[in-house]
Amino acid sequence: MQDFDLIETPENVELQRRLAGIGSRFIAGFLDNLLIVLMYVVLFLLLLIVGINIIADVGFSSMAEIWLLTIIILVAFAIYWGYFVLFEMWTNGQSPGKKYMKIRVVQVEGGGISFSSIAVRNLLRVVDAIGFYAVAGITMFVTEKVQRLGDLAAGTVVISEEVPNYSASYDKKKQILDNEAITSAALEATGLKPAEYLLLHNYWLRREELNVEAKRQLLPQLIRPILNRMGHSLPDYSSEALEEYVEKMLAKARSAEAEVKKGIHKSEDAK
Amino acid sequence: MTPARFLEARAGAWDRLEAIVSKTSKKGVRALTDKELHELTRLYPAVAVDVARARMYNIDPTTQKRINQLAISAHGLLYRRKNVRKLQAIWGFFRNGYPRLFRRLWPYVALAMVLFTIGILGAYVSTILKPSNAYLFVPGQLDLTDEDPGVSSKDISERFRRIPKPPMAAGIMANNISVAFNAFALGITAGVGTCYVVIFNAMMLGGFAGHFSNHGLTYEFWSFIAPHGILEIFAILVSAAAGLRLGLSLAIPGQLKRSASLRVGAHEAVLLVLGTIPMFIIAGIIEGFITPSYIPGIFKIVLGVAVAFTTISYLVLVGRGPISESKPRVAQK
Repeated sequence: MQDFDLIETPENVELQRRLAGIGSRFIAGFLDNLLIVLMYVVLFLLLLIVGINIIADVGFSSMAEIWLLTIIILVAFAIYWGYFVLFEMWTNGQSPGKKYMKIRVVQVEGGGISFSSIAVRNLLRVVDAIGFYAVAGITMFVTEKVQRLGDLAAGTVVISEEVPNYSASYDKKKQILDNEAITSAALEATGLKPAEYLLLHNYWLRREELNVEAKRQLLPQLIRPILNRMGHSLPDYSSEALEEYVEKMLAKARSAEAEVKKGIHKSEDAK
Repeated sequence: MTPARFLEARAGAWDRLEAIVSKTSKKGVRALTDKELHELTRLYPAVAVDVARARMYNIDPTTQKRINQLAISAHGLLYRRKNVRKLQAIWGFFRNGYPRLFRRLWPYVALAMVLFTIGILGAYVSTILKPSNAYLFVPGQLDLTDEDPGVSSKDISERFRRIPKPPMAAGIMANNISVAFNAFALGITAGVGTCYVVIFNAMMLGGFAGHFSNHGLTYEFWSFIAPHGILEIFAILVSAAAGLRLGLSLAIPGQLKRSASLRVGAHEAVLLVLGTIPMFIIAGIIEGFITPSYIPGIFKIVLGVAVAFTTISYLVLVGRGPISESKPRVAQK
């Protein structure tokens, strides 16, 4: 089971699709079945109103009642087998429950669902529905693309269409604010100036690229002024000791950043 | 081009595509003007390529997600199935596709018939040898030879004359199509469930036949079953064949991957079972209106044979022309 899968477009670009989770699919299925039950209730009330006693085989007084009963039988049958088929055909893969949950059935290889795929996945629904959709639940859990039996046979997946707010301005502003908060916490914890922090950070990222000789020349030049300003002293000033110092400062900064990030996530969740 | 230049150069296109896509959220592409539609077709391929470029430049994940989402939405709007004319497609299916599909899958129908014959003969012989065995195969309330005031045991149809015909025909139709759909769907158990449905129904019929035969009502029984039953049983067997096709495609995938084999099998099988719907409608109408009528039994049997013969002729003879204009729409990839 995974959250995303890849499809390849005719432009030979791989796009990521968000798969609908088991939870949202169950809610969608529950809503659809609720609607089906409601339709049956309406049919049943219709029967009662016209006064046909459906339990005893008597009481067919007029042709109108007989034909009404006939129509009710046919409609009930059509709802039972046709509800999902018709809705998924009309709305390109969205039954009302799916529409509410913003999920949609599509072909595995991308693109709108075909009629035969709709027929396959919804005729196999009777098997998936065994044990209150336990069969479907287990199959969705074990398959990579969260597919029930009907989806596997039809070659379909259900995707999530809820579009996260990626609007550029919103994100950029938020990111800058977050970064400010994070960085200031890191500076506070280490006592570094922004430029110094950046310097250590950049050095750390590139340390693998430098050979021993370069390090020996570069490190004292970079670190000495910081040590002097902070009033720190080291037991010896070899490249190893200096590098260790950089690591220590950055670790301090990291843990302070992590604290702040946790705080930000928490306040997001609370929203 | 640097990542920064890339972002700068392309941001306009993304914003524009975002605006167009968000317009379609309610009503789909119909919400767009001709000009916007044209823009969509031009913007989408470029943005799809941007997704790959953004990955290459390793730009920030949020922006990558944003343009990926944009491209997915636009892809969904542009690449969809051709809007086929539904009635024409159904006509074409029954004019060519279905008989061809049937002829391609006849071995599965033959397999279902073998299973059915074994079940019916087994139950029949067992009931003839030991009459009380009938109750193993036949549900008690359907036992029509029981003494029931107003129902002569000679005329099985009598019982059904008291129920109005149209709702009965509708009910029978609905029930039979449900049995057929279940026989198909249970095929997903590698065919075991389908075999169970076939043998269960065969034993019921065999048990009935033996039971009536024991009471010297063989002719009455067959004149009751034949008018609708031959077509009905045939249609059930075709549906069971669809279930077997589905099950065997899963159990014995051959050269294909099991998942691919299942897909191909399911798409062929579902069309085979959907094509039985008209057979069940005809059989249901006959069972509701003609079976309980006072027409002499021999005519009923003749009618049943004629209807079944016509159906089989259709399946064997129709749609043998060149395939050029419309290939049977099965198992599309």
